[in-house]
Amino acid sequence: MYDWLLFLHLLAAFLLAVTVITYTAVALGAATGGRTLFVADRCWDVGGLGTLILGIWLALHLDEYDFWDGWILGAIALWFAATGLGQTTQRRIAADPTADVALMHWLRTLTVLGLLVLMVWKPGA
Amino acid sequence: MTLLASIRPDDWNLPLFLHILGAMTLVGSLVLVVVSLASARGGDSAAALRLGYRSLLLGAIPSWIVMRLAAQWIASKEGLDDLDEPPAWVDIGFMTSEPTLLLLIAATVCAGIAARRVREGGGRSFGGLNTAALVLVTISLLAYVLAIWAMSTKPA
Repeated sequence: MYDWLLFLHLLAAFLLAVTVITYTAVALGAATGGRTLFVADRCWDVGGLGTLILGIWLALHLDEYDFWDGWILGAIALWFAATGLGQTTQRRIAADPTADVALMHWLRTLTVLGLLVLMVWKPGA
Repeated sequence: MTLLASIRPDDWNLPLFLHILGAMTLVGSLVLVVVSLASARGGDSAAALRLGYRSLLLGAIPSWIVMRLAAQWIASKEGLDDLDEPPAWVDIGFMTSEPTLLLLIAATVCAGIAARRVREGGGRSFGGLNTAALVLVTISLLAYVLAIWAMSTKPA
């Protein structure tokens, strides 16, 4: 049970990476079509929900961790921040495909990196 | 294994972080390549092919190197590289990572030639090269999903 939850949680996290990499290409000036951004946004939708739900499930499933652990609450806060930044980026591009979304993207990238740091180091666990 | 994960020594964290970061960037780049090369078969072929080629060259291959070097680093810290018979999940990791580098290099060459042909114009065909790159990258992606499964479920 734990192994499969972890596998699906990781797979969902890899979907988040698809979004971050695609928007990195946009931020660096690559010409991306609507289909590419559509796939990237859907990857965030599925990966975001997957990491959150499966992550909380894992925390509840394992005796070593508690939902109220600081690193888990920190990860949830970063998840909401990253999702908010992503939605702002998405809205700006939808309103104006040439909009400069680099700042929002790099902030989201830093937030996702922060999430990964928390998942690996688990401070306080 | 769950217990082992929770009591992992602190000095394993940096190589593990780099390994996962490299793997995530690798998979993210490859999905972007697949979408771009698939798009190149339809609409704006020049821009999509260029994006696919550059994602392979500047995203996937450097990420593969980071992922693989960090894997070796953590394997040596865990003493897994000294074992006569390493666990199956380690074998699966090596078996999926090393051959796929060759696939990625071949895909980069195919996508690069295809992008060049489109840029130069003259009606030269690029469809076969594009399809070849797409197939090679898709095979690599499937191998990486298997590797993610092996790394997380750690079959005996």
